[in-house]
Amino acid sequence: MITRNEQRIRAFLFYSSVAIFITGLPLILSFALGYKFDRRAFKFTRTGLLVLKTQPQGANIFLNETLFPAKTPATVTELLPGNYTVRLELEGHYPWINQAGISAGKVTFLEKIILFPLRPDIKQINSETLSTFWADEERGAIYYVNPDDGGIYKPDSEGRRSERVAESVPLDPPADKWKISPDREIVLYFNSRKIGITNISQQHKLFCRLPFVIDYPYKPIIDAYWHSDSYHLIIIGLRNIAVMEADSRSEPVILLSLAKKNTPSFYDTRTDTLYFLDTQRAEDGNLYDNLYKLDLNAKLSPFQELMRLRQSDEKRERED
Amino acid sequence: MKNGNAKTKRYLEIIPACISWGILIFLACLSIFRPILSAILIIIFEFYWNIRTIYLTTLLVLAYKKLSNEKNRDWLSDCVGLAPKKDWAKVYHLIIFPVYKEGLKILRPSLKSLADCQYPKEKMIVVMAFEERSSDSRSNAAILEEEFKSGFFGYISTFHPDGIPGESRTKGANATWAAKQAKEFLDKRSIAYEDILISCFDADTCVDKQYFACLTYHFLTSSRPHQASYQPMPVYNNNIWYAPAFARLVETSGSFCQMIESMRLEKFVTFSSHSMSFKTLVAINYWPVNMISDDSVVYWKAFLYYKGDYRVVPLYITVSMDAAYSTSIFKTVVVQYKQKRRWAWGVENFPFLVEGLIHDKKIPLAKKIRRSFNLLESHISWAVWAMIIMLITPLPILFGGAFFSQTSIGYNLPRIGGLLLNFALGTSLIWIVLSMTILPKRPPDVKWFKYIMMVIEWALAPVIILILGSTPALDAQTRLALGKYMQFYSTEKVYKNIPEEKNG
Repeated sequence: MITRNEQRIRAFLFYSSVAIFITGLPLILSFALGYKFDRRAFKFTRTGLLVLKTQPQGANIFLNETLFPAKTPATVTELLPGNYTVRLELEGHYPWINQAGISAGKVTFLEKIILFPLRPDIKQINSETLSTFWADEERGAIYYVNPDDGGIYKPDSEGRRSERVAESVPLDPPADKWKISPDREIVLYFNSRKIGITNISQQHKLFCRLPFVIDYPYKPIIDAYWHSDSYHLIIIGLRNIAVMEADSRSEPVILLSLAKKNTPSFYDTRTDTLYFLDTQRAEDGNLYDNLYKLDLNAKLSPFQELMRLRQSDEKRERED
Repeated sequence: MKNGNAKTKRYLEIIPACISWGILIFLACLSIFRPILSAILIIIFEFYWNIRTIYLTTLLVLAYKKLSNEKNRDWLSDCVGLAPKKDWAKVYHLIIFPVYKEGLKILRPSLKSLADCQYPKEKMIVVMAFEERSSDSRSNAAILEEEFKSGFFGYISTFHPDGIPGESRTKGANATWAAKQAKEFLDKRSIAYEDILISCFDADTCVDKQYFACLTYHFLTSSRPHQASYQPMPVYNNNIWYAPAFARLVETSGSFCQMIESMRLEKFVTFSSHSMSFKTLVAINYWPVNMISDDSVVYWKAFLYYKGDYRVVPLYITVSMDAAYSTSIFKTVVVQYKQKRRWAWGVENFPFLVEGLIHDKKIPLAKKIRRSFNLLESHISWAVWAMIIMLITPLPILFGGAFFSQTSIGYNLPRIGGLLLNFALGTSLIWIVLSMTILPKRPPDVKWFKYIMMVIEWALAPVIILILGSTPALDAQTRLALGKYMQFYSTEKVYKNIPEEKNG
């Protein structure tokens, strides 16, 4: 049975709950809608919000030169509408200063703020002399080449030690570009006359010994790309486009002759498509540049021809 | 039924679903077309729900405290102590177990709990109320008679015939048939109805040893004892250690809700297994024979009969039943869903009550309005609150677009919602602690780490609230509104994983 005392307790709880609801609801709603009681004017004023996020976090917040108690990331509430000078300060970093407009009942977002350090954190990460470097963005690795011995080194991110990961045959003049194969195992490097191939992984599937350098017969070389199979190379010459295998015995096959010299090009490894410019004479007799695409998917005939040549070479080797 | 009455009843049946769906559709449309207004209403609702949760949790703690205080009380001595003013020995207990498909594995423990009661068995009359249409009812009745008949003053097996005109296949029809058979038994022995307390128990109900002493004490010490039903606290401890987390959580929450209700006497209505005066039961013409929710309708029948002067007296003593579960998680969800929908079918009480109140001339209008509003409000809340919190709350943010997200309320809505939800989850810690304390002793074959699992499983609460919170209630209301009346469905209670000796 419920005693009279318990009924009293329950009644007290019930009416307390009602009282909390009645008093709490206006507060919670006015907070949600951004209202603030202005004691000077003795009335409710609608305010705005300022959301601040910085990278790195923990910056002091000054609004119109007044320090705000919280640090970034923070939401400054109950701001009266108007323009504010926002200054963010973090020790060891440049301060960030800008204007922010606050509207009644609205949120102003300042979320993409980067605070740059006063002294950039520079570290030397090579431990050998170097002639050039390149990056494997996919794996987040950096490589550099020692011109004295042709060694390819991979430093750790802190620059404490460098690991010699491959050999290369130096070119003269030095290679203009270094390009890593799509399978991240072989590196192509070239200057205007020669192409070098070396491996940065022992897992490579090439048939020949690495490293090697070939003297390119259709020089000069303007650019060169890896095919997605990490075995074929697409070479842009002065007036032609050729393909060849990454093999010391391979001969390039010219796919196209170009009217335009030094044509700019782009190779999309995902679809094996080469984009390039070439010049064509129009019906009005003038020369115009056009943009072309060339599909170099392995199913297409130039590659079938190369494969056929390759297979006949291997057959000949076996017969010898 | 007269044509006008039938129409009124249909209108009343449609009202709950209309209100529930109306609230949900209104809030959903508002979220799309007026997101700021919707956000304001959602914040009001969430704040209200938080306060309500805290308030109800406090009531739960109070109810739990009473249950703990009265746990080891020797009620029989208290009954004896009432003499000579009140003669407890005059009181007979008529106990009816309506049985549908429940087998011996379920019925034996229930009867054994009666036999183990610390109360004179010569004051107990047991009625096993079988359904004639159930194929093994006769054989089961014979086995149980053999085992238990000699232990009580009276033991009757009744077989409710199928297809009596005006009846539906409901538990109430079976219980009514059994009560009428028992009445003949009582009449032959000239036992006065006012000295009889009738307890109608679900087939799986195992009573506490002190239950009948406690009931007798409350009956003898209550003012106007015939104008009251006596409601024990239902717990689902029979198989709780073996039930899957999902079922365990739902059943524990169900017990807690009942404990909370026991503290709100003005809203307290009978539920599941309970007791009342046989005199009153005969006077109100027994249970309804064509309604599913007989356990609560019988209260409203008495309420109308006594012109609003009828109440439920909470008994802070437990009756233990089986947690409903099945052989797989999916089947358990289905079983639980159907059970909750059957409970939610209690919304049929609303048209029954209002129709009765319309024709009544003596109950004060304020009381009429209060009781019917309380009944309607409880069912509407049941159907919409989880939907609002889980499904409607994100809508203004989803449909409000850039304009809404750049407003103060658009920015604050998820933050305030999250804060209030965390606050509500904080109160659920109290529920977790209490749920551990009402557990029966761990069986030796159950590993100790099940205790840890029982705490962790409360993380399932948000999912369960959505699936088994509002949805079955909305389903039941919609069916009632569409006139697709439910038939009685006996909840599947599998004794999976339970060692054979416990299985009986």
